[in-house]
Amino acid sequence: MNKDHFLEVRGLKKYFDADRPSLFSREARYVHAVDGVDFTLRHSEVIALVGESGCGKSTLALLLMGLEEPTEGVISFDGRDITHLNDRERKAVRRKIQMVFQDPYESLNPTQTIEEIINEPLVVHGIGNNKNERDERVIKAMEDSGLKPAEVYLKRFPHELSGGQRQRVVIAAALVLEPEILLADEPVSMLDVSIRAEIINLLAELRITRQIAVIFITHDLGSVGFFADRVAVMYLGRIVEIGTMLEVLEKPQHPYTKALLSVIPVPNPRLRHERIILQGETPNPIDVPTGCRFHPRCPVAMATCKASDPPFVSFGKTHQAACLLLVK
Amino acid sequence: METTAQAPEIQNQWVSRLQGFWRTFSRNRIGLVGLAMLIVIILMAIFAPVIAPYDSSSSASVKIDDVYNPPSSTHWFGTDDAGQDVFSNFIFGSRVSLTVGFFAAFISIIIGGLLGLVAGFFGGRMENFLMRFTDIMLVIPDLPLMVVIVALTKPSLLNIIFVIGLLGWTTTARVVRSQTLAVKSRKFVLRARAVGAGRGHIISRHILPLVMPILVVQAVLVVSLAILNESALSFLGLGDPTALSWGQMLNYAFGRGAMSIGAWWALLFPGFGIVWVVLGLTLLGQGLEQVLNPRLETHHLMAGRPVVRGEAREDAEKPTGKNPLLEVRNLSINYVNEGKPPARAVENISFTLKEGELIGLVGESGCGKTTLMLSLLRLLPSAGQIVNGRVFFNGKDLTALSEEEINAVRWKDISIVFQGAMNALNPVRTVGDQIQEAIIKHLPGFPHDQRLQERVVELLDLVGIAADHKDHYPHQYSGGMRQRAMIAMALACNPQVIIADEPTTALDVMIQAQILELLDSLRKKLGLAIIFVTHDLGVVAEMCDRVLVMYGGVTAEYADVDAIYNEPRHPYTQELIKAFPDLTKPKKKLSSIPGYPPRLDALPAGCRFAPRCPLAFDRCHTEQPPLHELSNSQSAAHIASCHLLEASK
Amino acid sequence: MNRTRALLRKIGWAIFTILFVIVLNFFLFRVLPGDPARAGIRDPRLKKEAIEMLRVRFGLDKPVINCFESLNPIQLGSCTVNPLDTQFFIYVRNLFQGELGISYHTNRPVADILAERLWNTVLLIGAGQILSIIIGVVFGVFAAWKARTAIDFAAVMSSLLVWSLPTFWLAIILLFWGSNNGLPLAGKATPGSSSLPLLQQWADIGRHMLLPTLTYTIVYMGEYTLIMRSSLMDVLSEDYILTAKAKGLSTFQILKDHALKNAMLPLVTVIAINLGFTVAGAIQIETVFSWPGLGLAIFEAVGRRDFPVLQGAFLLIAVAVIFANLIADLTYNFLDPRVKTE
Repeated sequence: MNKDHFLEVRGLKKYFDADRPSLFSREARYVHAVDGVDFTLRHSEVIALVGESGCGKSTLALLLMGLEEPTEGVISFDGRDITHLNDRERKAVRRKIQMVFQDPYESLNPTQTIEEIINEPLVVHGIGNNKNERDERVIKAMEDSGLKPAEVYLKRFPHELSGGQRQRVVIAAALVLEPEILLADEPVSMLDVSIRAEIINLLAELRITRQIAVIFITHDLGSVGFFADRVAVMYLGRIVEIGTMLEVLEKPQHPYTKALLSVIPVPNPRLRHERIILQGETPNPIDVPTGCRFHPRCPVAMATCKASDPPFVSFGKTHQAACLLLVK
Repeated sequence: METTAQAPEIQNQWVSRLQGFWRTFSRNRIGLVGLAMLIVIILMAIFAPVIAPYDSSSSASVKIDDVYNPPSSTHWFGTDDAGQDVFSNFIFGSRVSLTVGFFAAFISIIIGGLLGLVAGFFGGRMENFLMRFTDIMLVIPDLPLMVVIVALTKPSLLNIIFVIGLLGWTTTARVVRSQTLAVKSRKFVLRARAVGAGRGHIISRHILPLVMPILVVQAVLVVSLAILNESALSFLGLGDPTALSWGQMLNYAFGRGAMSIGAWWALLFPGFGIVWVVLGLTLLGQGLEQVLNPRLETHHLMAGRPVVRGEAREDAEKPTGKNPLLEVRNLSINYVNEGKPPARAVENISFTLKEGELIGLVGESGCGKTTLMLSLLRLLPSAGQIVNGRVFFNGKDLTALSEEEINAVRWKDISIVFQGAMNALNPVRTVGDQIQEAIIKHLPGFPHDQRLQERVVELLDLVGIAADHKDHYPHQYSGGMRQRAMIAMALACNPQVIIADEPTTALDVMIQAQILELLDSLRKKLGLAIIFVTHDLGVVAEMCDRVLVMYGGVTAEYADVDAIYNEPRHPYTQELIKAFPDLTKPKKKLSSIPGYPPRLDALPAGCRFAPRCPLAFDRCHTEQPPLHELSNSQSAAHIASCHLLEASK
Repeated sequence: MNRTRALLRKIGWAIFTILFVIVLNFFLFRVLPGDPARAGIRDPRLKKEAIEMLRVRFGLDKPVINCFESLNPIQLGSCTVNPLDTQFFIYVRNLFQGELGISYHTNRPVADILAERLWNTVLLIGAGQILSIIIGVVFGVFAAWKARTAIDFAAVMSSLLVWSLPTFWLAIILLFWGSNNGLPLAGKATPGSSSLPLLQQWADIGRHMLLPTLTYTIVYMGEYTLIMRSSLMDVLSEDYILTAKAKGLSTFQILKDHALKNAMLPLVTVIAINLGFTVAGAIQIETVFSWPGLGLAIFEAVGRRDFPVLQGAFLLIAVAVIFANLIADLTYNFLDPRVKTE
């Protein structure tokens, strides 16, 4: 195992049971939520996982957090296999990997004060010998998350804060454990445009000040441009293209990435351009198309795409895409 | 160590929470009345020997003349079949009824609460088994079962308490389970798990605090049911003959001739006791429900408020000569708040819409853009009120129309594509049905036959939905299809203007692009004028001709799309564009706007953007800036409200 | 396809529940203190032989269930009884033949006694349910539509009040009132009315039904009003009502075409769950008005310690409620397209 690879995911799969098509059918059906994902994360690296809803990115996040058990595959962290752990081992790993959820309105318990929310992880893990020590950590986490001055917020309840402030509380509650990896699942999609930049800037700062690696999950390629080191594009349970941010944004190889990039609105009417609009919607992950799973919507699909699953083709050291057109 | 250090802290928090609860509860009249009624009866039960004029067991000296005496000064409530004082028995009866009610309810609540919590939290087989058992017990009629059990055992008070308690837990189990399930599926529980919290911690810190309010309300209900059940059992002759409850009093009176003698007092007063307690509990429960699980008691059919006009100006009476399709002039909307000054949600907004034009209305959540759109068709919620300004459509002032007249304009001339199409379509009617409803309403001459069906198919085809989906229900559509169906419905009566209120919010980027392309092509094909409401600057840049940027209910800037993006004059517009991620310039650090948009109930005194504005100076904090015309060109007016622009006028 | 499965599962559960009730019913009457033979035939003047004869006649001499007595671990395996010759087996076998035993009091078959009574109870509950639902829905609609007005407040408060009334007490009060207004006080028909023409017979029954039905209606309409109100409030604050309003539909059209059906769906579930509780009302009402239904049968059986009748009546009521519940449940599935087209 490569020492540089801090978090490593190999052949990860998660199938959920689906309803049988009919009462007397014997055929078991599965939702192929995550269907063979490989990637690695280095120390204090920011990787963006991009895809539409139904591409499996949220399930992937739950698998990485150990909140769902994978059907197949291996997740290793710091050289240790953490795919299946018992409760005690899992708890120890959770200290190192923390998560920020999409909806800051829903991810805070309305009956707890901000202090209780941020203090809770310390209580759970039995960190800090006395109240003063815990208070210090709580206040440091809050100020690092931009809740300054912390005293103003301590005794408040979530409903008294704005969306942006709540998302900062969620981040503070993750930081208070001093994690090494932060999983951010659509952390800004519910926030106003003027607030989004602040949260993204905050996450970007953390990786510099605290050396935290960030897995940034989003449906919006547009928001990853500034701070992701690498970008992985997902479609229907798989990664179809992965590379450094500039490689993916400037030289996209997979037709799906190209289409996704083309529909991102550009905030300048003088730069209106032709968009590649894919028809239809992401297929149901119960009946995954044969061959290349993107072929039914692919604007440049060939006859062979229906038959064979495309392998990854490399472009340079860091850039890979899975498309038959790229196979020479 | 850990726990002892935490204990007083937690205790203080509970005390402060109880104080907070009491503050809200003490403003709830229904709940207070119920509580008062209950306290009266509890005091009566406690001090029964002091209050009662006669000892309840002193029937030794009863003479035949004492039986069924009407109310008098010596016997306020008259006497019963045994010649006893009804008033005294009434007072002592409260003890029995309350004892049974509270103890039985205690048993029910403990069993039901535990079963519901365990079933809801642990799920799986355990849940299945427990809930099936609960379902079975729920279906079995409880009073007959109680009757059977009490009839087969000794009818002592203790037995009655246990029978009522052991059979009365089913609804509690169901209620607690569904609440537990609901809480358990909420994101903050998932977050607690991600933090590393174990089951015990999650139950005690996250599930219980949110189940408790429901359980408290349920407990009050269970007590009242237990009291009603006890009285019914006693009345049916299954009460403890040694404990004279109100139900038992009624049993004796009814069974021993009170009816035929006409001794109404023996029948009336014990019943009053039961009604008093149960009503007190019910009112208390209602009050607690309103306090602990508050609901918004408003809906879309509540009567709206009449349009009022502040300072009606002479020139504002008529549309301007140019006669655009839609002209909004100086429109202001308030939200009326009982006991507080009205919130100024929208103030002095003006814009025009020409035929075939697409205007973008941009602003963050809470900036009043949806309020503005709803007011155009007078669809404001009941607290909203147009307090100034006019809306001219084809020269007609929509704010001056009667309810019937505006109903004729709605959908026929101006239709709306709502945000989040899931709830904008009625879930129990087919999509085709909902589309044809609009046609039937507004085009009475349209033939109600095959032609109508063809028209619906035609409309669906226009938005890219296959004809065989016509008779499907909204839940069978995907999010993108529902939005398309909504657009088809908006086109049903060939309107001239479509208001699209955040039509792509919550949709995936690719579906969003599909919908935008659809709207754009329809605009070109049908010559529609569209008002596009959004918070997404990128979308506006892609589609719109003109843009109105709103901030805190007022116009920040109003100009051509090119001017907004390339020569923004208002600091808010400038900052907003800088904060928007631009993929053509990756690696560029996003600039953010510090602070948060103002709340409508706490608007700043001067410019509403001043607290966040990087360029603000003293005047901005005290004086609201007027709208400055920045371009003389009639066709491409450029307006912004900022004190800095005064010089350039 | 899943719908068929859900349907079969529901029917299966109803059958299971009925079986559960049968077993429960049997054991309640054997396990709880008070030997039915001693309790029912407790005339001290009877000789020991006479009691024994009665025991044989009512089948009480047989063992309760195979090996029931030998559950004691020491005697485990010492069971010698023919499983087909136990009280339980005979009870179940008789049940399937429609026999519910013989009344201690009248010596008539319980099934015959209850058969006469069942339809009277169904008539009372049916009429009362229909009336209380109609009135509850109408009041609830007005309360929700005119939310936060005096009409709403009055509707909610009066609903809470009638909900708090003990059923039997309201029945007594109405009986008092009726007795002063010349209404019949007891029973289902005036004695001797069976010789009258059919139409007059029905009118007579109707007059007898008036007060019981009124009591029933008043007691249950409050709950339906409150449920309808809250359900309609929820529906009326949905986005699709705003859509309907934007479409230019009138208030009446919106209520009729977009709100009522959606709001009624939860009511169907509540009616189903409520059936078990409404039987409680029927027992009390029938007792006060001497309405010859199952409730009165229960009341009388309790007074006379006539356990076979009590047992039979309880079983019949339970099965009827389970059945009605199943029907309401299936109706809901049929009405709600979200379930129907799943």
